[in-house]
Order: sequence, then C-alpha cells, then structure tokens
Amino acid sequence: MSAHPPHKPNVLELFLAALGSPFVIVGEQFREIFKVFGLTVQYALHGRRRWKEVWLQAYRIGNESLVFIVCVAGSLGVTLVYQAGLQAERIIGDLTPLGGLYLQILLREFGPTITALMISTRVGTGIAAEIGSMVVTEQVDALQMSGAHPVEYLVVPRFWASVVMVFCLTCVSVLVSWLAGLLTALLAFGVSPYTFATLSFVIPGDVILLLMKTTAYGIAIPIVAGASGLSAHGGSEGVGWATTQSVVNCSLAVLFLDVLLSGFGYLVLLR
Amino acid sequence: MSAASKQVTHVEVPRDGVRIRCQGVSKYYRRTAVLDAVDLEVRDGTMLGLIGPGAAGKSLLVKIICGLVAPDEGHVFIDDIDVTRLRERELQALRMRLGMVFQNYALFDFMNVGENIALPLRMEGRSSETSIRNRVAEVLEQVALPGIQDKMPRELSGGMKKRVSFVRAVVRRPPIVIYDDPTGGLDPVTSAKIFRLLSDMKAQGTTSITISHDLDGIRPLCDQWLLIEHGKTLFSGDTSAIDQCETPYVRQFWRGEPA
Ligand SMILES: Nc1ncnc2c1ncn2[C@@H]1O[C@H](COP(=O)(O)OP(=O)(O)O)[C@@H](O)[C@H]1O
Ligand SMILES: [Mg+2]
Repeated sequence: MSAHPPHKPNVLELFLAALGSPFVIVGEQFREIFKVFGLTVQYALHGRRRWKEVWLQAYRIGNESLVFIVCVAGSLGVTLVYQAGLQAERIIGDLTPLGGLYLQILLREFGPTITALMISTRVGTGIAAEIGSMVVTEQVDALQMSGAHPVEYLVVPRFWASVVMVFCLTCVSVLVSWLAGLLTALLAFGVSPYTFATLSFVIPGDVILLLMKTTAYGIAIPIVAGASGLSAHGGSEGVGWATTQSVVNCSLAVLFLDVLLSGFGYLVLLR
Repeated sequence: MSAASKQVTHVEVPRDGVRIRCQGVSKYYRRTAVLDAVDLEVRDGTMLGLIGPGAAGKSLLVKIICGLVAPDEGHVFIDDIDVTRLRERELQALRMRLGMVFQNYALFDFMNVGENIALPLRMEGRSSETSIRNRVAEVLEQVALPGIQDKMPRELSGGMKKRVSFVRAVVRRPPIVIYDDPTGGLDPVTSAKIFRLLSDMKAQGTTSITISHDLDGIRPLCDQWLLIEHGKTLFSGDTSAIDQCETPYVRQFWRGEPA
C-alpha cells in the first residue's frame, strides 16, 4: 500500500503539532466550533425557517431541565443565603442588606452562569449524543443526500430554542433561588420578607449583564455541543467521546464567556 | 442563484454519455491509502457493479462520488461537473439528481416512515403538501408496503427498512442512483424483490452503481464491473471481459471459488 501525507500542513498546524498532540486536538476542536458557529449564523439568518421544530426543541429543553434547575437553584439559594447570613451576622451584625445584595449577585453571576452550566450538562450532552449517533449511523449523510445541510437542519432549530430557553430557564432559576433565599433568611435569621425583598442594590447594568450572559450562553451551548456531535466518528464509542467532549467544551465555553462578559460588565456597565 | 449553481441544477447528459466519472481518486487514513487511484466511468442508462471483499473501500468510493467525503487526490465528475470543486450550496443542488441507498439503511430514527420519504421532496421545495403525501403513498405501494407511513423505522424488519431506504432514495426520480449493498442481510425472497426494483429502475433509464456481494443477483443487471480490493482496482470492464479474465483472484471472486 502506498503511503502519502494527505495534505501539506499549514504554519498554524505545524506550530500546534510542535507543542504536542493535546494542542492539535484543541486546535481542531476550535476550528470545528468556529466553522459550526459561522454556518449556524449564516443558516439562522438566511436558511429555511422551521418554527415548529424550534418550538419542539424548546419544549424538550424545558422539559428535560426544569426540575433539575429548580432543585439545584433551590438548594443553592438555601446554602448561599445561610452562609452569607452567618458571615454578615458575625462581621457587620446587620442583616438588612442581605436580600438586596443576594439578588444582585444572582442577577449578575449565579443565575445565568449556574443555569447555563446545568443546561450544558443536561441539554448539551443530549444534543451531542443525538447528532453524534446520527453521524455514526450515516443519518447525517442521508440528510445531505436529501438536500439538507446538517447544520441548518439539526443545529439551527436547537440554536433558536436554546437562545430563548436559556433566558427563560435563567429567569426561573433566579426566581427559585431568590424565593429559597427569602425563606432561609426568614426561618434561619428572622429577616422579614419585606426587608429581604428589596431592589435597592439592583441597577439597570445588572439586568443588561444578565441578558448579555444568557444570550451568549444560549448561543454557545448548542453550537459547541453540535460541533462535538458532528465530529463524532467510528461507532458507538465515537458517540460517547462526542458526549464527554461536549460537557467539557460547553462548560469551558460558559466559564470563559462568564469571565469575558463579567470583565466587560465591571469595566463598562457597573461602574 | 449564482452562475455556478445554475449550471449545477441544469441537467444535461454529457455528449460522450458518461454520467459518472472518477479519475485517480485516492483517499488516505493515517497515511495508508484506503482508495488508491481508482478510475471509473458509468454511461447513461447503464449499471456498474462495484464488487470486492469487505473493507475494500466500496462504500467510501460511492460517498466520494456523492461529495459526502472529499478525496485526497483525483476528481469526480457527475454530468461533467467536478464534484470535488463544488461549494456546499452547489453540492446540495447537484444532489437533487442523485439518490443513494445506504448500506445500513440510515433511516432517520426520529421520523416516521412517511416523513423519512417526504424529506427529499420537501428539500426540493417544488411540491405541495398534498402532492408530497400522494407521492409517498404511491412509492410505498410500488414496493408493496402500502399504508406504513406512520410506523417508526425501529418497528420495521430489515427487508422493510431496505425498501423504505430504497424509496427514499428514488422518490425524487433522480436520474442517477447508487445502491450500497441493497440486499445485504436479506432472505432470498426479499432480495429477489429488491433486484426486481433495481431492474425496473434500470428499465426506466436510471444510471446506477450497485455494490453487492450477491453476484448471482446483480450479474444480469450490470453492464460494467469494477472489482477493488484494499482500494486498488483489480478489474474494470464489461461482463464478457470479466468472464474471460484470467487473473486468479478475479476468477475466484467472480466464480465464487474458494482460494
Ligand atoms: N471515516 C473513516 N475513518 C477511517 N477509516 C475509514 C473511514 N471510512 C472508511 N474507512 C476505512 O476505509 C476502508 C474501506 O471502508 P468501506 O468503504 O466501508 O469498505 P467496504 O464498503 O468496501 O466494505 C476500511 O478499512 C475502513 O476502515
Ligand atoms: Mg460497505
């Protein structure tokens, strides 16, 4: 059998290869993610609109993760407020700002980011496994032979659904955490709900930051998960690989965007 | 629509009558050639039998022909259009005149049978919902599976899946169809039914490539043969030539003799 290099590597690939194989893999994944991102934007703007499918996917996202999110957001609210209350009692001895500050940190940070991390594990894996198993069973090839583009047909509906649902689920999560916090403050420290329920610390910048974060996460999760699924190869172990890859990459993407947007927020919005 | 995609959608049989042509197609995985400079030509209205042992590269070759996999070297022409040079949009347009029956059915498992078959028509975007529904019912009747539109693929037997996969491939009446192992794993009676369908398609003037291990089944159907092993061409020619071929391996394979 004759041996041949398939193609001449470019400078970037040579550079990554010199750093070691983990960097090559990371480089490949970045390229795949940006490719899927570009195609998704292109097809989301100019492709066929399949709102029924978007609705179906949105329903599935909600259905899959609502209970999970409510449980995690509730327990997070209890533990956060309990700890914060203990510290505040010891250090400043005044619990009146507890509710206001808690709401602020929920809006800025924990609400969107924790919710997005949960959606990454619950929904992102589902997307990667579904698309990955379609790849290894040649359904994606069949889709292409039918005249559809896999990104347009599979990723774009999940993209719209995710953008909407990450926002909605974040609202639910913030509400549940806040209510759990309110109850904790009342039962553990006797803080009256009227004192706890204050908007005095919240500024418009907090809400803008929340919107920016939920939108960014909503865009990132289906694209990163979709890219993992589309790069599955081999048999069922390829699907497993894609699913694991999707959790890791989605979580990293969420945390990376969180740092980026928080930095922007603190520098620009929340001065 | 760009000039290129207009060219792609405009169907015209080339003057020399060759509808599918591969020139020196090679593909490497991990630096080993799984296809090594394969050439083939399929003329209008004829069927090419693509044969060879398992893992010879047959499925890979037809995927390259459809533009699903890019070759590392060589060119593929469908109706004189170089598939390897097309952009995604143009490929989509070109695939409107191609049909493919996949080796492992590749039915969409999240759709019922009716939606599976309707998808190529929906993507073509020419027919109304009513005419799509009628066409789906019509083609299912042609393969003796009337009224199974609402069944899910997992509820079907292997033979039924192959037939559904067959009608999904031909529902748009493409002039070129590729059958990847259309009778693999089927009982002789169902196989005979499928070969009858292939023969009907050929009688209607379809140009096709058939991959099969059932040589007795495809012998009467194919005009040309390509035998590959480990990605290399061992034989290429018509039926009388392969009958007379003296290469030991080709003789063995063709006559089904033990080594
Ligand atoms: N995506 C791929 N990655 C790596 N190897 C592949 C891939 N596709 C095909 N191959 C290899 O190419 C060879 C030919 O495969 P295939 O075309 O499926 O054979 P056939 O259909 O003739 O049985 C096999 O050795 C297979 O392992
Ligand atoms: Mg095969």
